[in-house]
Amino acid sequence: MTASPITPAVPAMPFSRTVRAYLSDAKYESIRLFRTPAFSVPILAMPILFYSFFGIVLAGKSNIGQLANNLFVGWTVYGVMGPGLFGFGILVAVERNQGLLTFKRALPMPTGSYLASKLMMAYVFAVAVMIMLVGIAVTMGHVTLPAATLIRMAAVMSLGVIPACAVGLFIGAYAPASSAAAFANITYLGMAFLSGLFFPLSGFLHDIRSAWPTYHLSQLARASGGMKSEGEPLVHVAVLAAVTVVLVALAARKLSRKG
Amino acid sequence: MVAEGDGALARLTGAKKRYGATVALDGLDLEVRPGELLALLGPNGAGKTTAIGILLGLQEPDAGEARLFGRSPHDLAARRGVGVMMQEVMLPDALRVGDLISQVRAYYPDPLGFDEAVALAGVEKLVQRPYVKLSGGQKRQVQFALAICGRPRLLFLDEPTTGLDVTARETMWATLKRVVKDGASIVLTTHYIEEAEALADRVVVMAKGRRIAGGTVREIRSLVVRKRIDCVTAVELSAIEAWPDVIAVSREGERTAITANDAEGVVRRLLAADKTLADLEVRRAGLADAFAELTQEPAE
Repeated sequence: MTASPITPAVPAMPFSRTVRAYLSDAKYESIRLFRTPAFSVPILAMPILFYSFFGIVLAGKSNIGQLANNLFVGWTVYGVMGPGLFGFGILVAVERNQGLLTFKRALPMPTGSYLASKLMMAYVFAVAVMIMLVGIAVTMGHVTLPAATLIRMAAVMSLGVIPACAVGLFIGAYAPASSAAAFANITYLGMAFLSGLFFPLSGFLHDIRSAWPTYHLSQLARASGGMKSEGEPLVHVAVLAAVTVVLVALAARKLSRKG
Repeated sequence: MVAEGDGALARLTGAKKRYGATVALDGLDLEVRPGELLALLGPNGAGKTTAIGILLGLQEPDAGEARLFGRSPHDLAARRGVGVMMQEVMLPDALRVGDLISQVRAYYPDPLGFDEAVALAGVEKLVQRPYVKLSGGQKRQVQFALAICGRPRLLFLDEPTTGLDVTARETMWATLKRVVKDGASIVLTTHYIEEAEALADRVVVMAKGRRIAGGTVREIRSLVVRKRIDCVTAVELSAIEAWPDVIAVSREGERTAITANDAEGVVRRLLAADKTLADLEVRRAGLADAFAELTQEPAE
């Protein structure tokens, strides 16, 4: 035993500094990914290239009215899901492997800031993607919806970031770092095609389209834009919420066991 | 049992940990007292890194208990008093050094000023550089900056000077001395004996997950009773070998080297046997010798 009678106290963390820690983590997570071309280029450029190619060049003169709106919703849902899915899917797997997560766990990083900063990063990227897609839609994509409607649709679609992050987190928690990117890509493209974002489905694939989160998000977006939609908005929201909760719970189980 | 008021900043009590068939910790007791630099010495696989990992809450002990500031290491409030430099860590490549320091500073209630942290760690010239562009030694310096930037009361440094050049190592040593002088405690693992001799207030020698010796550098050295006698003498080697307490004798050129437990007795006999004896020298084993001897398992 030493002579010192009292364990020196650690100064308390004021609430305002905790908030600042969350914001600073979100800021640096976004900055570093904007500076990582392997992440930022595909996430930002792919939806724009695809939308420009399929929605404007290929669709040509037939791209009017309902078709123009369909293409806009399809590619925007696709674009919005990307940052969360890849941001969590690849990064969590890689950082688990690299020891970055271990280092962060040793630091007094606020609980939840690791995930919250990635969620905020995904939002920042998703908003950037949406701004560009809406810009293309109204200038070249023959989308004639009123501005207020477009903003409402964008707000609804931005909710898709959350289930996208959950899907990504699930992949990142279970996939090995070396193959996480492949799993994320297959899941991303698979969900987009199988939920009928880009072209109508038929037969068995049509019957199981509601299995994919992207389907529910696109139906919500269509409903919010006054477009023809399937199902009840509340059901879509409930499915997206349920998918999120289940995948996050499964991921949390894996991550807390092994770090 | 750990009471809040016993003065230890960090404490392991009877900590055991195995990885499969490998025993990493075998009932380790360890305490870190206020204002001291504690060096953990031991060969690879001695359990030094595991001990730190458990104190930081990165691993769970199979048995025993870890306390940080009298709390569980999982308690965020406890870790706010701690700075860490781990052996293997990858930091986000795309961030600049300044970004990394700002980000880690934000986790602490009362961090060092940005410029102060940068200057203390000696990384002024690196602030604008992306982390990925740094050399191995520069990365270690930046990791050191991250460890101290939160003004921690307790620093865990796992082999901090590995890979540093001489100047960088001296800068780090000077900073460590200053950090301790300012009242913080440091736990340092190292392979460099001279690092422990230069810096440590207290040394704990570990082998195979156990503490095999502990004390000041001087105390550790004195645990090793062997001494080495060098001289120029005409006495036959075979005669010296037969004396009590002589462990080994060798002759190189004209110098004779004798390893003995009771140096005084051997010297007395030498002087009596040889009036021409010259160049007598008696040395206590250095920490390096002590360390090598202590970590050798007698059974092996």
